[in-house]
Amino acid sequence: MKQNTSGTPVIEIRDLSLSYGDSDIVRHASLSIMPGEIVCIAGESGCGKSTLLKAIHGMDAVNVTGGEIYFNGSRLTDMSRKERRLLMGTGIGLIPQNPQGSFNPLRTFEKQMRETMSSHGLAFDPDEMISLMDSMGLEDGRKLLKSRPYELSGGMNQRVAIVFSLLLKPRVLLCDEITSALDVTNGKLVIDEVESYAARSGAALLMVTHHLGIADRIADTVAVMNFGEIVEYGSTSQVLYHPQDSYTRMLLEKIPRVRREKW
Amino acid sequence: MGMTPILEVREISHTYHQKDRITKALDQVSLRLMPGSILGIVGESGSGKSTLIRHIACLEKPDGGKLLYRGNEYTGRTPAFAGQFMQMIFQDAYGSFDPKMRFDRSVREARWEEDDPALLAELLKKVRLDESFLQRYPRSVSGGQCQRLSIVRAVYSGARILLCDEATSALDVASQAMVIDLLKELQRDYGISMIFVSHDLGVVSQLCDEVIVMRSGRCVEQGDCLGVISHPRDPYTRELLDAVMEVGEETGIHHAAEAQNEISVYPGIPVI
Amino acid sequence: MKKVISSRILQRRARVKTTIIGMLCILLILLAVFADRLVPHDPNATSALLIRRAPSAEYPFGTDSFGRCVFSRVLSGARTTIFATSFLVVITFAIGTVLGILSGYYGGFIDGIIMRIAELFLAFPQMVVAIAVAGILGGGLRAALIALGVTAWTGYAKIARSHTLSIKSENYIAAARLAGKKGWQIILFHILPNILFPLVTNALTQIGTTMIGISGLSFLGLGVIPPQAEWGSMINESRAYIQLAPWSVLFPAGATILTIMLFNYLGDAVMELKAAERRA
Repeated sequence: MKQNTSGTPVIEIRDLSLSYGDSDIVRHASLSIMPGEIVCIAGESGCGKSTLLKAIHGMDAVNVTGGEIYFNGSRLTDMSRKERRLLMGTGIGLIPQNPQGSFNPLRTFEKQMRETMSSHGLAFDPDEMISLMDSMGLEDGRKLLKSRPYELSGGMNQRVAIVFSLLLKPRVLLCDEITSALDVTNGKLVIDEVESYAARSGAALLMVTHHLGIADRIADTVAVMNFGEIVEYGSTSQVLYHPQDSYTRMLLEKIPRVRREKW
Repeated sequence: MGMTPILEVREISHTYHQKDRITKALDQVSLRLMPGSILGIVGESGSGKSTLIRHIACLEKPDGGKLLYRGNEYTGRTPAFAGQFMQMIFQDAYGSFDPKMRFDRSVREARWEEDDPALLAELLKKVRLDESFLQRYPRSVSGGQCQRLSIVRAVYSGARILLCDEATSALDVASQAMVIDLLKELQRDYGISMIFVSHDLGVVSQLCDEVIVMRSGRCVEQGDCLGVISHPRDPYTRELLDAVMEVGEETGIHHAAEAQNEISVYPGIPVI
Repeated sequence: MKKVISSRILQRRARVKTTIIGMLCILLILLAVFADRLVPHDPNATSALLIRRAPSAEYPFGTDSFGRCVFSRVLSGARTTIFATSFLVVITFAIGTVLGILSGYYGGFIDGIIMRIAELFLAFPQMVVAIAVAGILGGGLRAALIALGVTAWTGYAKIARSHTLSIKSENYIAAARLAGKKGWQIILFHILPNILFPLVTNALTQIGTTMIGISGLSFLGLGVIPPQAEWGSMINESRAYIQLAPWSVLFPAGATILTIMLFNYLGDAVMELKAAERRA
């Protein structure tokens, strides 16, 4: 959880406004992420946090109405489609909330992974993939490599999608509610694995979640979003333990905690 | 306790046959719900917790076991029979209302006895919704409002037991807190008993008097809620508790506000 | 900056489109209803002096080989074709939908029987069954309608069944069962209102196919009995003289194509409108 305070941020967002169709989703958001830093955007559904992530990843459906996004100092909006496509995966990786759409349901994971890797000019190492899967609670990796997405449950697909993204070794990994399709026990495994990837590789992590506990567990910096605006932004200890904003306070107070006997 | 449970489930089993595989969705699960208490059922997906409450409401046919309401067996009866004393609250509040009907009609339709406008008005006041909401259609209200209306419908029907299936899981934080408070109020003011199925240990520990932990169709641990959560005996329960990620959990910092927020529980209020 | 068309504009466009096509369909139906009053000549009056006249002011679509006014016959044929089609679609839609809902809601034995019968009819191409049945019944419009109806209901039944199955698992159906509602009440008040729209749009798109069926049987001599005017049989009668009097084939054929296109467009437009409304 060491963060690099000098140098260029891997991702920088300046006064970004986004819309989907007619409606404004994100208004005047600013944020910067240093290499190796873990940033969590926390907020409830509909606050615009996923849209922000999609904009950074460069999805077409999101409409940038103002502001800029920088990757390693170069403006993303200036890049051609081809340059952006090259960035996807190895530069900026995304683990989507619903991974089913990103797989071809009828092809084996091994074939799909091999293809993805070679399109990015990387070598595919099945053993590396198997050991990653194992650490996320996906047992019998050798058999899983030969299976197809439609044969597995949503939670298993979700975890394989996370393995895919990690194998591409992105410099920034964007995670969109990656535990929402998972049971609590697997959710914890995945969070730990993503965190250890960041620690190993020095990659930055931008994680979107409604779960403040996850933010507390891994984040260096937390941004709280409400109705398309970042209402509070600062170090984890400051935002979660000395919240200034009334919305952040409401979240912290109203989320039910596990009640145990007092010692 | 010498009291008769308001609901008793004895060794209920349910088996699915899928091609050549046989899955035991429920494997001899038993439980007792005391009048006026809230029983939590926790477990992960595939644990059978939702199937169990569908069985209790007679929406599924069991392969074996018995269901008793106040000591009288009702195994194998229709949902219409079970509906006279229990109602369900679903995770997807919108899906629990016919999209083509105003709330007014959906709510009144669920009542077994004669219309009681005074009770309906009282319930709406309790859930903090204006009476004009009854004239609206499901898609024109928020998720939290819709869930509160489904609670109104369930209580207005005359149910003595509410079966809640992940009833707060899809709500925003503020609505979730409101619904939890509301369910406690219903327990206190009307002595309504509840079974509360959830994967969220935080919610269950705040709301329930007793708890059952389920895994792969079996009950692995049950008992007093505070006791089970504070001193889990089963390794799986421990695993579940370890996986909970909360703010302040590692650093040991607990908010002073939380101690004040501690909600009193009203166990075992006898039925009127 | 990308240009994004707002969903409201899409909705307005879809609404305009549906209205225009809907009006054209209504106009067509009105023409058919008042065909008797609109015809300039008796559609069945033959005249040896007027055989195969080219279109003129008096005979806008010309005359056929019996000297009958083609324009009058197309109009009066519209009546036969459109009425027969609507009648057939309404009846088969009603029967198919009822059977499909029963099949989907109750499942088990009822479902087994209804769906096996439906599959039996679907095993053969629809037109082949229709020709066989019409042949056995000996021709005439009524025989043609029965022949087509025998298989047409299966499509509606299948669609109604699948929609019912998906609605049946909704929680509000469980809530209604817990509220003590009986099967017929749930079907009538909860299932039907929620599946009617997709079923009706499907029926609209089926009007074209049904019309082809009726005209097709008439063309083969198994439908309307001459001299009654019907587009299919008109094409058949004049087919031999297509080089001498192309108008007597082209106008009924054009009318058929136009009508089928209109109703198909109507179905599409209504579906598009619904999709746009859902997005807005």
